[in-house]
Amino acid sequence: MTSMTGTAARMMSGFGNTSLGRAFGSILGKVAGGFLVLLLLTAIFAPWITPFDYAAQNLMNGNQPPGWPHLLGTDQFGRDVLSRVIYGARTSLSVSATAIAISITVGMTLGAAAGYFGGLFERCVMTVVDLTWSFPDILIALIFVAIIGPGLTSTTFAIAIAYLAQFTRLTRAQIVRLKRETFIEATINLGAKPHHILLRHLLPNAIAPVIVVGMLAIGDGIVLEATLGFFGLGAQPPTPSWGAMMSSGTAQLFLSPWVIIFPGVVVAVTVIMVNLFGDELIRALDIRDRIRGA
Amino acid sequence: MRHQTMTKLLSGTALVAALTAFVASSAFAQEAVIAFDAGELGATSYDPVTSSNLNTATSMIYDRLVEQDADQSFHPHLANSWEEASDGMSWTFKLHEGVTFHDGTAFDAQTVADWIPDYADTENAFLTAAIESVEVIDPLTVKFVMNRPEPNLLYNLGSAFMGIPSQAAVEEMGADYGVAGAVGTGPFKLERFDIGLETVLVRNDDHAWASDLSENQGVAHFERLTFREIPDQSTAFLELKTGGVDVLLGIPTDFIEVLKAEPNVTVIQMPGTGISYMPINVTAAPFDDIRVREATGLAIDQEAIVASIYKGVGAPAHNFLISSLPEATVDPALNVTHDPERAGALLDEAGWTMGDDGVRMKDGAPLEVKLFTQNGSEFTVLTQVVQAQLAAIGMKADITVFDSSTIRDEYKENRHQLAVRAYDWNNSDILDWFFSGERLGYPNVSMWNDPEGEQLNKVAMEGSANSEERIANFTAYHEYILSQHLMVPIYQPTTNLAFNADRVSVPDPVRGTRFRSQTVLDMKPAE
Repeated sequence: MTSMTGTAARMMSGFGNTSLGRAFGSILGKVAGGFLVLLLLTAIFAPWITPFDYAAQNLMNGNQPPGWPHLLGTDQFGRDVLSRVIYGARTSLSVSATAIAISITVGMTLGAAAGYFGGLFERCVMTVVDLTWSFPDILIALIFVAIIGPGLTSTTFAIAIAYLAQFTRLTRAQIVRLKRETFIEATINLGAKPHHILLRHLLPNAIAPVIVVGMLAIGDGIVLEATLGFFGLGAQPPTPSWGAMMSSGTAQLFLSPWVIIFPGVVVAVTVIMVNLFGDELIRALDIRDRIRGA
Repeated sequence: MRHQTMTKLLSGTALVAALTAFVASSAFAQEAVIAFDAGELGATSYDPVTSSNLNTATSMIYDRLVEQDADQSFHPHLANSWEEASDGMSWTFKLHEGVTFHDGTAFDAQTVADWIPDYADTENAFLTAAIESVEVIDPLTVKFVMNRPEPNLLYNLGSAFMGIPSQAAVEEMGADYGVAGAVGTGPFKLERFDIGLETVLVRNDDHAWASDLSENQGVAHFERLTFREIPDQSTAFLELKTGGVDVLLGIPTDFIEVLKAEPNVTVIQMPGTGISYMPINVTAAPFDDIRVREATGLAIDQEAIVASIYKGVGAPAHNFLISSLPEATVDPALNVTHDPERAGALLDEAGWTMGDDGVRMKDGAPLEVKLFTQNGSEFTVLTQVVQAQLAAIGMKADITVFDSSTIRDEYKENRHQLAVRAYDWNNSDILDWFFSGERLGYPNVSMWNDPEGEQLNKVAMEGSANSEERIANFTAYHEYILSQHLMVPIYQPTTNLAFNADRVSVPDPVRGTRFRSQTVLDMKPAE
């Protein structure tokens, strides 16, 4: 019984403010977390903070180097690169976050059911899920593009499927481990129904690592969104996406490098910050072993 | 035997592999890698008779009876000379002696007589529609008996679609002909064809019948040519810069400046033979209303486009034909020019009134349309400018970018409204190709099928006794097409090619109307 209260209490508090606070505790955590909060606010308030309309063309003012009034210069259509990078944050974050949310929801459901019920059901689910892992992300995206046409919806689904296996495996591993704990056996012996055990006792205890991995996956999702955008499979023009901006910038790589450099830098910095903050979160939650265990 | 042992011994280590690659690149300097023009990507066959989409490698595998020069004159090739009867009802061709196909069979009058009927019931049937029958006079003389005069016959015979294939090979390969193999009399033989990727040609060492457009009358200077399909122009450019490609065909104008700055790259600019334009699907609302179509045309500012994104290179297009064709001179009132005020008035009249968000509305529905384009910056850049110019008259256009083969399927399924496209053809019969009611979907992307149009088409295609009549008939057909607002002409690009001068030298000006076999014969490895 001591083990139960100990584990459960640590898990519950791990999800509370204390741990998030602890993640912000170190300098690295402050910098990374601060950047991400800023980026999130930028994405949310993009329409109010962009200096120009991201789609407004001024053909006679194309390929202007960084300066005033276009702080990051203009692309070949004379569109303001800064405004497009800011709006691109919106596209990148929303696609990635939506995709990972789908991935987590479906992955946790499948993983929890597989881990709890076991047997043939578990083997079927894990085989199918592992199969999705064997396809390159780009191929999955291409399949969606072929079915529903190019655009952000295909990108979102492609990213969601690409990370599905990760969350299913992670949740399943947690559930299998927790199922053997005394407090679960006690609950079963007290006559609790499976859904009660899963929702009330198993999932809450399994969620912390999933949240952290989800956080890290958002970083990967941003890169994948940029990759798909680069190949023209993501956001359709003139919607700015960091990947698509870099792709269109390649044509002007030697004439106006700022068109490709700024979105590239933003993608790189964002992903580094997401990973740094994820690491801090792992440390704060003290769950490194459990993430490895998956 | 000794060579084999050597190869086995050496093939083990990566170091040696790298060395071999280095030696190979200098030892086989008689190889060249050429990247196709983006407009030529996606050809699925090298059968000139049945295919509706051929790339320039086709002209190197096959020879034609005649060749057209840049000044529009015709030169002998497999036909040494020809004569048209005074009433235009027959043509007699004297053929070149001693010509053989890559498979060793002989080319003679019987080949021509067997070949011409193959066009019946194909997409290319219009090329030979005026030829009633072909008579073999003697092994080197052939007579075309016509069912009507055809002032355009020599043009047709000189087009890539009338390269002459080996009849023995066509029979042997059947439906696989053009994909599994292609056998002509040209300066190069087809060695490998990976659809959508690359085509490898090897020299025909028997070729001794070049046309007088080439200085080189013997075999080609290159032993092997590899044609690559690179959809993205930036990638193609980087390949040229880094030595992966020696010749780049069809460079978009916005790249010229960058390419000229490269020390080892030489750029050749030729008068263009094509138009960039925006077809309008007349069957898709709101474009079933001619006023909306006309307004769409008036929204496009061709002059601004040429001045900005093309830096003044090339010319604006105000009708569907390149300006060097006589049929491009139409009633000035029919030329499509920029007039946003009139566009607004027409849309108001059609019931599309300006909404608060800058998008016009009618019966509660916004004026929102689909604008399709192909991947590759030469299409996507122009499309985004078009999108912005349409927005200025209150039309919201949503861009979707497709690859070149998917977009044709979309057209055939009639899922499109507006599209940004380009064609490359220097004859007014392109009007028939893109607007004939018999080719709805693709190539008739406008989905236009109109009795009067079909009548004018028939007169233009078949009812002309001589060149003057043909010009008048095609001008009338062209004017009617313009009056129906089926597309918006945008831009007449120059045709540009670039090559790595450290590796190859390409004659400037190129021989003939474009980069074809005549030019390739004179192309040399760099010294």
